[in-house]
Order: sequence, then structure tokens, then C-alpha cells
Amino acid sequence: MARAEAAAATFERRVLRGAAEHQYLRVRLELPDGGARPSVAQLKQLVVSALRELHGEVGAALPVDILTYDAKTLSAILRVISSGLVKLWSALTLLGSYQNRRCAFRVLQTSPFLLALAGNSRELVLD
Amino acid sequence: MSVPSLQRLRQVPRHLLVCEKGHARDARSRHAAHVRDHAYNCRVSFLIPECGMLPEVLKSTIADVGDYYLVRNLSVHELVAHEFIDAFVKKGSCYALTYNTKIDQDNTAALLPTGKLILSVDKDTYEELGLQGRPSQYSGKKAMRYIVTIDLTDSTFHPDSKKRNRVLWALKEKKPLEFDFLLAWYNTGAEGSTLMSYFSKKQIQALKPKITFSTLRDLQCPVLQSNELQGKPEESCSTEELFEWLGAVWNQVSLDNKSSSFLSTYCCPQPNMMVEKAFLCTITGFIIPEKIIQLLEQLCCYFGEPKLAYWLTLTVHGFADSPVSWRESEHGFHKGGENLYNFVIFRNLDYWLQLAVGTYDDCPP
Repeated sequence: MARAEAAAATFERRVLRGAAEHQYLRVRLELPDGGARPSVAQLKQLVVSALRELHGEVGAALPVDILTYDAKTLSAILRVISSGLVKLWSALTLLGSYQNRRCAFRVLQTSPFLLALAGNSRELVLD
Repeated sequence: MSVPSLQRLRQVPRHLLVCEKGHARDARSRHAAHVRDHAYNCRVSFLIPECGMLPEVLKSTIADVGDYYLVRNLSVHELVAHEFIDAFVKKGSCYALTYNTKIDQDNTAALLPTGKLILSVDKDTYEELGLQGRPSQYSGKKAMRYIVTIDLTDSTFHPDSKKRNRVLWALKEKKPLEFDFLLAWYNTGAEGSTLMSYFSKKQIQALKPKITFSTLRDLQCPVLQSNELQGKPEESCSTEELFEWLGAVWNQVSLDNKSSSFLSTYCCPQPNMMVEKAFLCTITGFIIPEKIIQLLEQLCCYFGEPKLAYWLTLTVHGFADSPVSWRESEHGFHKGGENLYNFVIFRNLDYWLQLAVGTYDDCPP
């Protein structure tokens, strides 16, 4: 937190164009009812195997972080370096099975700003 | 695979993050104008480190955020009606936005407090309407979406003018448009009729913003220096790092991972310090800028008395499907419709302001 209380800040403006290092995806895994739900480590494994299936070993090396995971709703927030967004998204879309059961990843929201995922007006139920 | 397609594989959707710093009590500071210019807000949240109980004055400010209204199946021509303009548009700040419409698929309408009615419609509707507009900025070479702007407070828009009659005819007979509208009205002067009584014959519902409080224990907070937007290695964090950290806090992301962790390598930016507790408050609804300015002012006053916290933050999320973001600059939905801003208020009332927009948006003012 702020240490020295310096003189009042002078106005300064910085515009960062397309500078985000990471992209964030909020996803939900859809599985048929009644079956084992993946743990967070298994989910990560699933994502890596999806990347390997479509983009090979180089794709599997793409750094993907699982920032949050809710085993109840099977929803997660993933973080990937910006240049890997298309690779990750395509790998998730084309993934079709988990432990020999059919499954699908739904990408609910994506943004270069993690903060944007905290407030999605499309999911807002006001009445 | 050919080279261009490989490059496209690595492409990032366009986005902008504008960071400003200044002083909240500077007479030339435009921070309040940025709030005022962002008309449609669905979520306001603030975080105060080292705060367990909210001061009474802040509590009452939050309680005073005010009702808004949801009117079902309202024809757009009712907003152009002479009585409506005189009773609400000209006598205060009137906000209206279509509810549950998606700007990348549906027709959308919005009424700005400046009295501008903005219709964002698809090509077919535009051609049927027969009102003058312009192709959407983000619709490519072959325009599939058009924007019609009608200034309701214009002097040429009086009850008997040809222009108004044509607009009424277009919206009433030529192509009647009906939406569910979110409405809010703010006026400082004498009490006139209310939206509730004006639309009493319609299906109108008064709604209260949802307010939630929570306290976080042992939170890692980045160290910030108000005059160092870009941060200094080993001394303070940059504005981008703070922005990501704040996203992590609001999404309940764990902050203490190791760089070797299999699951996530995200950790709180360096340098940071442990804060014993932090107070979080979220307000969701249709929140008008006037109320956000009041809240911002009260948050500045929080530092009037000596406090342990060095800074606090106020975050505002805009509607992803509103046809404008700041002022009248067009807004669209590409991979996301993000338009949000965040204030960091420092103890000495310096502020940082971060404005973020996605692909289909102009640079914030």
C-alpha cells in the first residue's frame, strides 16, 4: 500500500491498446447426469488432453491456469496467455468425451479483463 | 496450414485499457464527468481494506441508491410522446434501456439523460422503419445493423413539427417496436408525477437494487503508490497488476499459488502486504450515474478521519448490451461486451481511474 504521502498526483493518462497478457474464459463442463464429477486436477488434465488432441504436444505445453473451479456447477475460470486464446477455445469446443462419457465445454464468457467476468449483465435477473 | 492463418491463430481480440491518475479535489479533474458519461450500469462494487464495519453515512448512501422500474411491453413511441418528454425528459435525467435484448442479435433501444433516443436495429427493421440513421461502425462493409438517433429535446422536435410526426408514424404504424424497458429518473427540483403513476396502466414494477456485503479475512493486497501508475520494481505495483488482482478478488480466485503449481500459477502481485480484513459491497440493478457520484464522494470522505487503509476501490460494470458506452460512443458485443471502470481512491485523495472496453467500442473519453 502507499508508503510516502507525496504531493498531490499530477494528471497522467496511459492508453494500453491490446496489451492484456492474458485472456480469461468462464466455462462450464456439461456431463450426463449421475457419474463421477472431475476434481480440479482432473479438470486441468482434461483441458491439457483436449489441447494435446487438437494441437499436439506443442499445444499441450500452452500454459493454462484454472483460477476457480466449482465442482457443484462444474464451472471454472481459465486463464491463458493472449496468443493461446484461439487454441484453447478450439480445443475446448472440439472435446467430446470425459472418461468415455460424452461431455461438452460451454464457454459462457470471455474477456481480456478478469474483472469483467465478475459482472455479466447477460446473466442478470432483475425481477 | 498457410502462414496468414497461423498468425490469425495467435490474434487477440482488440481491447483497450485506459489508466488515469489525478487528484479528486482538483478543480480541473474530470473523474466525475467520466462517471456521468457512463449512463447504463448494472453492478457497482467497492472494496475497503482494513474495514470491518461500514460507517453509517456510507450505509445510508448505499440504501439511497434508489428504485428503478421495469415496464413490460412498452412501445417505443410512448417515449417519444409529448407528455412523457415534458414530464420526465426535460425535467431531469431520464434513463431507459431495453431489458433482456442482445445487441448482437436483437433490436435495442436506449434513452440517454441528454434526451437522445438511440435505436440500434437490424437492417430489415431499419428499412421498414424509414427513419434516418447511419450504419453501425462495427458492422463491416455490408452493414447489417443501423443506428438511429433521435434528439427529443431538439427545438425542431415540437409537437406539431413534421419531424416528430414522422417519427411517431414510423414507430406507431410503420414498424411498431415493443420492448421491456428498464427505467430510472433523477431530478433535483420539485416533485412531479412519477414514472410509477405515469405508466400505471402498463405492466410496471418498481425494483430495488440488490445489495450484498461480505468481509474477507487475511487478504493479500498489492502495495500501491499513487504517483506511480506504472509501478516501481520492488516498491509498488502497476495499475494493470492491480486491475487483474481486483478481478481475482471479486471472482474469489485463490491468491497464493506457487509458480510450480499444476493448477494455477496466479499469485498476488509483488510487493504485497497482508490485510487482516477487507470489506466488500456489491450493488446490482439499474444504477444511475448520479448515485454513483454520490457514493464516490462518500468514499472520498471515508478518508476524512484517520484510517488504517491506504486506498480503497470502486468498480462499476456497464451493461454488455447497451448501444452506447461513454457518452454517445457506439458500443457493441464481439466476444464480450465489457465496458467497465474502476477507481482507486488513495488516502490523500489522489485517484487512479481505469477504464476498460472490449472489441466493439471507441476509446473511452
